[in-house]
Amino acid sequence: MESFVIAVEESAINQWVLGSAWLWPIMEILHFIGLSLLLGSLLVIDLRMAGYFRQVNIAATHKLLPWTFLGFGINLVTGFLFLMGDPARYTANIGFWWKMFLVLVAGLNALWFWIKINPVMKTWEPHADTPALAKLIAWVSLGSWFGVLLLGRLIPYIGTG
Amino acid sequence: MFEWLESTGVAIWVGESLWGYPLMLGCHAVGLAIAVGIFVMRDFRLLGMFDGISYESLDSVRALGWTGFLINAISGCFLFSSQATHFVTNTPFLLKISMIFLAAILSAIIQNKMRDDAVAWDGAGRPTGAVRGLAMVSISLWMGAIIAGRLTAYV
Repeated sequence: MESFVIAVEESAINQWVLGSAWLWPIMEILHFIGLSLLLGSLLVIDLRMAGYFRQVNIAATHKLLPWTFLGFGINLVTGFLFLMGDPARYTANIGFWWKMFLVLVAGLNALWFWIKINPVMKTWEPHADTPALAKLIAWVSLGSWFGVLLLGRLIPYIGTG
Repeated sequence: MFEWLESTGVAIWVGESLWGYPLMLGCHAVGLAIAVGIFVMRDFRLLGMFDGISYESLDSVRALGWTGFLINAISGCFLFSSQATHFVTNTPFLLKISMIFLAAILSAIIQNKMRDDAVAWDGAGRPTGAVRGLAMVSISLWMGAIIAGRLTAYV
């Protein structure tokens, strides 16, 4: 990990991220907007998939997914740049590693959704209850993403080892 | 008055205890994601996206958005108390609070219109131009609040 930190700190991308005083706050703003899009769209999709908000047509909830992907994409890019800008701080932080672990869990769960639920969800009864598997995937999604959110916000306060 | 607020037991707990500030900051991030996320998704629908989800059904997620808002009003008061004298003179903070205040009023106006006219919008295929305009203003205010809120840490 030490050699990774040194390599990043000597890289051009590190210089670029740290080169402007305004880039870091702008990236933070984008990271917050990204998380709002990601979690806002997922709250609607997942809570409906968990069986709540039955008035909402479940067969149309997939139309929110582009905002989920956009939010995730914004945060993947800005998050990567944070890591490139300050690799020593993040790699030494246990909260960061737990956050990355939960992103992995959320990602695998999203893959599960993509394979098992998304292809059939469009044919479901618009206002009916949902299968147990859909409920499980929905709760894993919400649990892991809100965990990601909390760990991310608390990185500055969680111990470095 | 703000000096007195900073000297209260609650403010000192937030500012100086090990977990007071991070706990409130964590709540504030969760509430932000819920409130901004839900209200903005509602506004996107009013602008014509997510065809197939009826306007009438949007009313059911309203309470969730306000739950996020409440979490942030409460955690925000705790966070404010610990640095009250700093925040009252901080321009981004004052901008942020103004925009949130306006966005909340706008949300109430939008949901009143939704309660009265959602069925008609479903029939017509989309809300009136005025409502779509309100949705655009609402999205802008929430984004503005995030921008100003983040800048409180820098300006």
